[in-house]
Amino acid sequence: MKDHNPPTAAPATSPSRRAFLRGIPVLTAAAAMAPAPVLAADATHHWAMLVDVRKCIGCQACTVACIQENAVPEGSFRTFVSTYSVKLADAEQPAGTYMLPRLCNHCDQPPCVPVCPVGATFKRADGIVVVDGDRCVGCAYCVQACPYDARFINHDTDKAEKCTFCAHRVDAGLLPACVETCVGGARIFGDLNDPAGELRRRLDAAKAEVKVLKPESGTEPRVFYIGLDERFQGRVEGQGTLWQPRATHG
Amino acid sequence: MNPDIVETVNVAREVAWLPWAVQYFFLIGLSYGAYLVSLPGLVFRRPGWEGISRLALLAALVCGLTAPVALLADLHQPGRFWHFYAYFTPSSWMSWGAFFIPVYLTGLILYAWLAFRPALARHADEGGRLAGLARRLAYGGHESRNALVAAALLAFVGAALVALYTGVEVMLVRARPLWHTPLLPLQFFVTALAGGFGLTLLFNRYLSGRGDPLATRRMANALAVTQLVALLVGGVWLALGLSGLSPTHAQALAEVAPSANWQLSAVWAVAATVVTLVLAWKRPGSGLAIGLLALHSAWMMRWTIFIGGQEVPKTGAGYYSYQLPFGPEGLMGIVGTAGLWIFLFVVLTTLLPLDRIGKSGATGA
Ligand code: SF4
Ligand code: SF4
Repeated sequence: MKDHNPPTAAPATSPSRRAFLRGIPVLTAAAAMAPAPVLAADATHHWAMLVDVRKCIGCQACTVACIQENAVPEGSFRTFVSTYSVKLADAEQPAGTYMLPRLCNHCDQPPCVPVCPVGATFKRADGIVVVDGDRCVGCAYCVQACPYDARFINHDTDKAEKCTFCAHRVDAGLLPACVETCVGGARIFGDLNDPAGELRRRLDAAKAEVKVLKPESGTEPRVFYIGLDERFQGRVEGQGTLWQPRATHG
Repeated sequence: MNPDIVETVNVAREVAWLPWAVQYFFLIGLSYGAYLVSLPGLVFRRPGWEGISRLALLAALVCGLTAPVALLADLHQPGRFWHFYAYFTPSSWMSWGAFFIPVYLTGLILYAWLAFRPALARHADEGGRLAGLARRLAYGGHESRNALVAAALLAFVGAALVALYTGVEVMLVRARPLWHTPLLPLQFFVTALAGGFGLTLLFNRYLSGRGDPLATRRMANALAVTQLVALLVGGVWLALGLSGLSPTHAQALAEVAPSANWQLSAVWAVAATVVTLVLAWKRPGSGLAIGLLALHSAWMMRWTIFIGGQEVPKTGAGYYSYQLPFGPEGLMGIVGTAGLWIFLFVVLTTLLPLDRIGKSGATGA
């Protein structure tokens, strides 16, 4: 795992990111690693993501950027875009393609946290759910408990791993790598507590259309979706994957 | 399955609880199951149970000593096992389990030692192999009834806690509907008890003269009851799923029903249970066959729940397919625990030959 306490870096200044960068005081390392589960509401920030499925073109640029940024071993993925071929009834072409970017939902009620027998996985005050790699015993209980298959055991480190919203970048005032690289502009990252921020504005504007994955599981995901087809909200009923990349270890 | 949707690209998540975990749950289950079989003869002094109960206690000991090794090996960071004790986390049943296991094992080892002291002393007197070790272990070879009962009580508390946590830990995983059923701890318990009887029957069978036929019959009867309960619990599970009374059970059923592998497992499990039940009931003398069948069912049940359960994707379509790897994370894990089990069995039966402890009546115990 990467260091979660990176030095204070100079933020990038691309115009598209200005809204995001405004008002991000860089968190101190201590605050960032405060033992949770402290509820994020007390904190200045409450990081979240909005995925506009309509804009995803399924290019997997985010998948690759994440692997590069986080040194994810071959065959494992912190984020990826599930792709489905869906038969169309009311169109000329026989089938369309449905893309669904998946990642850790940084749930506000994360089932992965209470099960950890050594308190290695926790929710930071700013809402990001992380794994303390120095403490993790690799028991994989959290892997079982996550309803989204978002976690896995990293075979290079033998510890539990998952998307961290690129906490090391966020702490330095940068966007997560997947957001930074998203070709279609489908991933919007920001602070739920910032009423003027792009994330909040987009969420408020789209209100009724905003959905989360498996809402019935009570996890309160902090990754929101616009354009999420109900058939893909839970476990997808359909024909199994035609191509599954898998780890080649051992 | 919805024929209109075909998943073209997705990620396969690997099985994260490895065959080691199956071995752990199997062995610790056999251990507390066999421990329970040891009680009628050794603690309650039920006539006709002494021999069986001593055999059962030996079985509990061999399995109990092997199980934690399998558990440790299932951690991807076994060297960090001390974190369990340094960072106790009350919200996690696994964390509690790390404290329950030593309670059980301490009780069990003390109980076994107190029960076998006289037999160890006899072994030392007869001067067989490892007689010196037997003498040291016998430590005088006295019987101490009160201490034995106290140790058995400690082991009972430990066994109850272990049975509870191993069931609840898995049952609580809401993300896997197949595991998320209050019936699961009961299923673990019933099959563990059946396995305990099975292993004891096996030991009994290898006594010279193939063991006491009355004892075999007694165990066969008890085994038949466990199989009946297992079928009943399975029936309740199915009814809950089919009727839709419980959404979790319905979801679990919907997830596994379309899979040919799962259909085969289900038919297999039911058939094995029915055959064991019928044999145990109609031919209670078939100790070896029903013993092996009970062991097989206890193992199969855990394999299907753990490995099969992890083959069901939580978000994706279809199934992940698991192939048992050859290395330590797969087949060698199973072979390794079996090897350790055999080693302990050989050492312990050298000190405590089955024939000596399995005879009905007192062996000085
Ligand atoms: S998506 Fe899974 S890993 Fe992420 S916070 Fe929720 S339960 Fe935990
Ligand atoms: S794998 Fe690590 S983070 Fe996950 S539950 Fe086990 S110790 Fe905790």
